[in-house]
Amino acid sequence: MSTEIFGIENVNVWVDGLIRVLLIVGFMTVVVMGLIYGERKILARFQQRLGPTRTGPMGLLQSVADALKLVGKEDLRPRNADPWTFELAPYLVFVPVFLGFVIVPFVLDWQIRILELGLLYFVAITGVNIVGWIMAGWGSDNRYAMIGGMRAAAQGISYELPLVLALVSVAMVVEVPLADGEVARGSLNLNEIVASQHEVPNIVWQPLVVVVFFIAGLAELNRTPFDIPVGESEVVGGPFVEYSGIRWSMFFLAEYAALLIMSLLFAAVFLGGWAWPAGIFTDEDWPRWAQALLVAGKASIFVFMVFWVRASVPRLRIDQLMGFSWKILLPLMLAQVMVNGLVLVYDWPEIILTVVGLIGIVALFAMVDRAVRQPRQRPASAAQLQSEAV
Amino acid sequence: MVVEAPSEFETQDLLINVGPQHPSTHGVFRMVLEIDGEVVKDLVPYIGYLHRGAEKLCENNDFRQGIGYMDRTEYLAAHNAELSYVMAVEALGEIEVPERAQWIRMILCELNRISSHFMFLGAFGIDVGVFGTPFIYAWRERETIIDLFEEISGDRMMYAYFRAGGLAWEVPANFENRVREVLASAQQGVKDFDGLLTENEIFIARTKGVGFISAEDAIEMGMSGPTIRASGVPLDIRKTEPYLFYDQLDFEPITANGGDVFDRYIVRLQEISQSIDLIGQCLERLQPGPITPERMPRMLRLPEGEAYIRTEAPRGEYGVYMVSKGGNKPHRLKVRSACLSNLQVLKQMSVGQYVADAIIILGSIDIVLSEVDR
Amino acid sequence: MTTDETNGEAVEETPPDTFEGTLWPDVNRALSAVDVRPERGALDLIVHLPRKDVIRGLGMLKHDDELHFDYLRSLTAVDNEDEGVDVVYHLYSVSKNHNLTVKTTLANEDKVLETATTVWQAANWLEREVAEMFGVTFNGHPDPRPLLMPEDVDLSDVHPLLKSHPFAEIDVLQGEGLGHDRDAPGDV
Repeated sequence: MSTEIFGIENVNVWVDGLIRVLLIVGFMTVVVMGLIYGERKILARFQQRLGPTRTGPMGLLQSVADALKLVGKEDLRPRNADPWTFELAPYLVFVPVFLGFVIVPFVLDWQIRILELGLLYFVAITGVNIVGWIMAGWGSDNRYAMIGGMRAAAQGISYELPLVLALVSVAMVVEVPLADGEVARGSLNLNEIVASQHEVPNIVWQPLVVVVFFIAGLAELNRTPFDIPVGESEVVGGPFVEYSGIRWSMFFLAEYAALLIMSLLFAAVFLGGWAWPAGIFTDEDWPRWAQALLVAGKASIFVFMVFWVRASVPRLRIDQLMGFSWKILLPLMLAQVMVNGLVLVYDWPEIILTVVGLIGIVALFAMVDRAVRQPRQRPASAAQLQSEAV
Repeated sequence: MVVEAPSEFETQDLLINVGPQHPSTHGVFRMVLEIDGEVVKDLVPYIGYLHRGAEKLCENNDFRQGIGYMDRTEYLAAHNAELSYVMAVEALGEIEVPERAQWIRMILCELNRISSHFMFLGAFGIDVGVFGTPFIYAWRERETIIDLFEEISGDRMMYAYFRAGGLAWEVPANFENRVREVLASAQQGVKDFDGLLTENEIFIARTKGVGFISAEDAIEMGMSGPTIRASGVPLDIRKTEPYLFYDQLDFEPITANGGDVFDRYIVRLQEISQSIDLIGQCLERLQPGPITPERMPRMLRLPEGEAYIRTEAPRGEYGVYMVSKGGNKPHRLKVRSACLSNLQVLKQMSVGQYVADAIIILGSIDIVLSEVDR
Repeated sequence: MTTDETNGEAVEETPPDTFEGTLWPDVNRALSAVDVRPERGALDLIVHLPRKDVIRGLGMLKHDDELHFDYLRSLTAVDNEDEGVDVVYHLYSVSKNHNLTVKTTLANEDKVLETATTVWQAANWLEREVAEMFGVTFNGHPDPRPLLMPEDVDLSDVHPLLKSHPFAEIDVLQGEGLGHDRDAPGDV
């Protein structure tokens, strides 16, 4: 089978796929290093300090220096660590994240592959890295690592549901123009989702979903305030405590690559990707370079918000974190899916979605506030537990 | 509620060792936690990693050299530590201290209280999980105060500035203006912390109801300082047994009702504001004058006797029990450490709470290991 | 306000101290069942109790309605070499805001005392420290482990705060330790 790429006709599909993959991997590595640098600088500015300034002009080569240092480190393995589990874990965290790049829509018609089930693929593939975290935690032969791994697994599984439901509620109401002029609703194809936002981005119709996606995304990325797996008493690294050198840098890169994917997805699904605001001004799409800039700008909004939250907010305890997901986010998302379904079936005007979404945001804050200010029930003391057991 | 596992599962409790090298234990402190899932069943603290025998060393050093040792037992609030020691020497030797020296001592002790409480706020912010912002804010404020101390005594942290009878030397000429600058910056720092943490829902969720100790238990265990005031007991030595000129100042001990971690944070935050106000009052009353009594013997020899002098250090009651049997060295010097007494309560406060809570509770007691271990 | 030393001429002219204005009358009443002797300290009243009655006396002081010493400030010991080891308790009353120091003397051959944890829980760690530093055994202590000393030191015969324990090896080289009234070479 052959296809065309960059205007070259009749290229074998395998070669074409390989070229795209290599391009994306190269691009992504550079961008991830830029993200690491950006985080350090932005966090530093929040904290009234400067961040890296010495390596290279304005400290721009700091990530390169860190990468070189990490590559040069000794690769340690604890003696009692299970060799297969310990050594395979970084791959299981790293590879699924990279596989997630397959469906990310950068600009019009330019992705590694355009899949009809793009969103499903994305959700499925990011679920695999939870296995990697558990393997890292268990295989390290270290109690802190195991606790961190268990917490990561619990958190990852808990927040998958609101994340998936958020994406589903968007995918449900996407308008896809068919060839015969009819409009079908519902699509998992990311290209179509972006194209449907030609005039109005999805954030307008689904404000609550955006908030929940942001929160669940933070949890899936294991970022503050959900970084308790890696904040094991605040610096000891959770499941990654026994890793050093390249293996550790794979975890680190995977975290930032996941951040990049999540931000590009956010830009595509909620902010209109490369399609908005082009649809307001013309019927045609903007040139590719303008689209790329647009997508980059939208993705950086998400990234900046993630960094901002990291600099400002304490972390949640594991029971509060799980309670928040199961008792607050999940019911809200289920309600949102139902409302979306009703709008779809009865063909109600979409403004109802906006109104319901805004009410949902208010409800979210109210529920959180009530839960926080409730007098906390103290867990049973040891003496009480003993007397009850008797 | 913690639910017991069904009986056909055989579960084991996990023993976790926290410390002595650990970023959250505020020094070399070790505790062994026995946890069941996430709940702490038992907690055994081990101290003594920083024991340097300060009490024994002071028995062999005269009454001027001992001041340096007192600095090092409480390096975050060194002026308060020196104060107890020199007051004990003055009590035994019946030495009169000039007024100006007393007022300056009060100003420096209150400034040290501010800087010590900022240190608490910064470290506590890290314990709770905010990545670094409160820590840097705290350091920003502490730097202004420590710079002032360096201008006065030459040292940033271990001042050795108080002497029996007064101060070592006169403060610099622009002392008052510098102090007012520092106070303005500290006031802004309090506002920053208040805005960052106090109303933050996650912070409230993490700290309210955690680490509770009742007023009766606190008195029974001999706690002191902001930790006991957060449980509702208005025990502030500056008010109950005033020393220096605290009886001339207008203030009330700050208390809170909850006895939990959040209240300890609030009490310390408000104490910074209170100290700013107290320093303002002291500056109004500061007059020029001598700072040492007219005839101070170079080598101090004290008559026989004993004294237990207690002052309100930022962490609680810092007491110096000095026994003199004549001569120029104390026969026995006992440092009553506030942190040691407060640390005894850690187990009681933490059992039954989660692991992450145990770290926060330790942070909220605000220990400095050099005082615990001496 | 230290205790006056007895010396030849002055003793007839100093009237015996009646301890008026201090807590002595109330303390005397509360401790009427035991043998007690007062003394003045720089700030507080000091009372001396015999070893066998100390814990009982402390309990009486805590539960007395007028005195109500509910707060143990400090518990320590002083090594008086040949005269024995004094165990010192500093008491405070949160409700009444007054202080008292209680002392008892233990002979060097027999440094055993009952634990004060039955009266105040605060005595727990304080007694552990006194036990390891002075070699005092507190009977009935719930947790008699060393507090500050490292694990590899044999604590049956090493008690650092006793005067008989050497200050440091340099003691031998530099005489009585550091001080200004000494002209040894290498003086700082």
